[in-house]
Amino acid sequence: MTTETSTRSANGEVTYTPQDGRLLEVEDLHVEFHTPDGIARAINGVSFDLHEGESLAILGESGSGKSVTAQAIMGILDMPPAVIPHGYIRYCGHDLLTMPEEQRRKTRGPEVSMIFQDALSSLNPVFPVGWQIAEMFRIHRGMNKSDALEQAVRLMERVQIPAARDRVKAYPHQFSGGMRQRIMIAMAIALDPAVLIADEPTTALDVTVQAQIMSLLQELQQERQMGLILITHDLGVVADVADRIVVMYAGRLVEKADVHDLYRNPAHPYTRGLLESIPRLDQKGQTLAAIGGLPPNLMRIPPGCAFNPRCRMAQDVCRTELPPLREVAPGRLSACHFAEEVIDA
Amino acid sequence: MPEVVLSAHDLVKHYPIKKGVLRRTVGHVKAVDGVSFDLHKGETLGIVGESGCGKSTLGRLLMRLEEPTAGSVVFEGQDWSGASARDTRRLRRDIQIVFQDPYTSLNPRMTVGDIIGEPFEIHPDVVPRAGRRKRVQELLDLVGLNPEHINRYPHQFSGGQRQRIGIARGIALNPKVLVCDEPVSALDVSVQAQVVNLMEQLQDELGLAYVFIAHDLSVVRHISDRVGVMYLGKLAEIGEEDEVYARPTHPYTQALLSAVPVPDPTLRGKREQIVLVGDVPSPANPPSGCRFHTRCWKAQDVCSTDEPELVQRPDGRGSHLSACHFAEVRRVVETTDVSGENPDDRFASPDVSELSDAGAGLGPAGGGESLGSAQAGSTARRAEATNPAPEGADPARLATDDHQDPTR
Repeated sequence: MTTETSTRSANGEVTYTPQDGRLLEVEDLHVEFHTPDGIARAINGVSFDLHEGESLAILGESGSGKSVTAQAIMGILDMPPAVIPHGYIRYCGHDLLTMPEEQRRKTRGPEVSMIFQDALSSLNPVFPVGWQIAEMFRIHRGMNKSDALEQAVRLMERVQIPAARDRVKAYPHQFSGGMRQRIMIAMAIALDPAVLIADEPTTALDVTVQAQIMSLLQELQQERQMGLILITHDLGVVADVADRIVVMYAGRLVEKADVHDLYRNPAHPYTRGLLESIPRLDQKGQTLAAIGGLPPNLMRIPPGCAFNPRCRMAQDVCRTELPPLREVAPGRLSACHFAEEVIDA
Repeated sequence: MPEVVLSAHDLVKHYPIKKGVLRRTVGHVKAVDGVSFDLHKGETLGIVGESGCGKSTLGRLLMRLEEPTAGSVVFEGQDWSGASARDTRRLRRDIQIVFQDPYTSLNPRMTVGDIIGEPFEIHPDVVPRAGRRKRVQELLDLVGLNPEHINRYPHQFSGGQRQRIGIARGIALNPKVLVCDEPVSALDVSVQAQVVNLMEQLQDELGLAYVFIAHDLSVVRHISDRVGVMYLGKLAEIGEEDEVYARPTHPYTQALLSAVPVPDPTLRGKREQIVLVGDVPSPANPPSGCRFHTRCWKAQDVCSTDEPELVQRPDGRGSHLSACHFAEVRRVVETTDVSGENPDDRFASPDVSELSDAGAGLGPAGGGESLGSAQAGSTARRAEATNPAPEGADPARLATDDHQDPTR
């Protein structure tokens, strides 16, 4: 086990200090959903870490387990039906999964916070937005109502909501999609978290608004040196923002690499296929290649490599043996039996 | 240039805003406000724009699922807007639609065979009753689904497969025009390419013309021959794919293109980004003059008073239609011509037949894809919109039966 790097101050509050700049370590995480139809294995052994000021992208399609990973880190999975049979999620050396709920609750917001995809359904429709932002200060910092509201105005200004002071008492439905997402961001950064998880933050937004939100997120991350986990399926957004990328497929990491390496020279057939199957704005006359078949049913993940039924390189070994995630070049991990051939291709 | 199959002449659709006990009309949402274009035989016209720009309403007007407030839709020389119910039905055979959401646009209580075969109930002369099942199976095969799955229900298919069912229904009557309203935006990245390639293949085989409505500028560039950019109910710019993407002259097109992230990290920070301030104004109260002037960095006094006309404006190599007083070419996307270059087929394939998931045997994907119960409610309504009410069908109606089997 890692040594705990924290101190307990006089009033019993825990302060967290990252070790060697490492904020978060996820190790061999498994998540299953026990449903009446059987067990859906959403995450099957995922490990990665996140450093201070780093942008890590988790890339995957629907059902790959990327959002479940985020929810497990935040501790907002519905348990049951979700079960975490194995794994550690350590924040500054503290295992979040074994931490008493009361202590864990205190990490949500001040230490780790999250932005959701759908801002309209994530905000409470019957309270003004300012009240909802101010709630963070009232509950975690024990501020009085007027001070908390003042902080909310300051935050709304910081996320560039025009006429913040006049709009602090407006309700979520009175804002546009982009403005609502800014309010979500304001809530998420309110208590200066060390880790910010953004789960598809711009998927529901138009492209011009997406550009505004992504640049705001990057600016805030640099200003506060937050560790950012960006969860997305959009290879364009990732290329603009991420330092490192992990690619998920059927609840496993299939590739982990620096952003430049991954785009220049993918080391897994799935990543390669994905990159060839996206139409590009800057190309004319492109022949679009596609990956055949469908992502697997999580209740019946194929034996061996989960990608084998869709993989054009698959051999017999792929149908029987699960390829481990291994280092195939300096700093590059791939879970493919033939990663060397893929990377040289 | 091939003949024009469909043209829109100054199409307008205003929705009344009603208020008060007496439901008095207090204003109008100007969803589509004067849109004109021609669609040629066998071509793809892409329509792009942000949410609320009126592109979906335009698609519904072309299908005559909505009555235009003004203007007309002309199909093969015949004005469709004044057509009788009987003529409309006949014309609908030639213009079909594929909806965005494959989860809500298929009736969950009907089998795939019934969904794809329903157009034949309304147009019984297309395929004789005895041959319908066989025809539906041919259609399933054509869109890359297993013909043996004819008795399955929509929930037994994944999103991509459902969109194939929607396409099969759309092409069942051998239409000449297929209006596709965001056909791939609900699909996963790896499945999107399969459906796009299928649509391209069907176009080649059946000589279909597409009106391809989407918000994804990369997909539209890939599939379209010509592209129209909409902003607040009007066309800002329209031209050949290359003219609009490589030589845009309207500031809105330029801003839109510059905001699209490109999957290449080496371009990070090097791409020119035009960041627009603010949000799209309300279509109930659009700005005077040029509708884009409130967000435009080039706006002068004239922009807020005079509406710029959509006319030919020089683009450096020729000219194309653009609605800006100060139209000027600005290259925001460095285009590389990769035509003729084949992708590495060791990992993915451009061949549609090889990619049909008919025999994949994986069954519907679990986990991420689930049918929300909230969505199910609107299903029946949407399904009706696709296939006009059967009771209105007139079986005695005569029609020319020159429709050929697309599978040959």
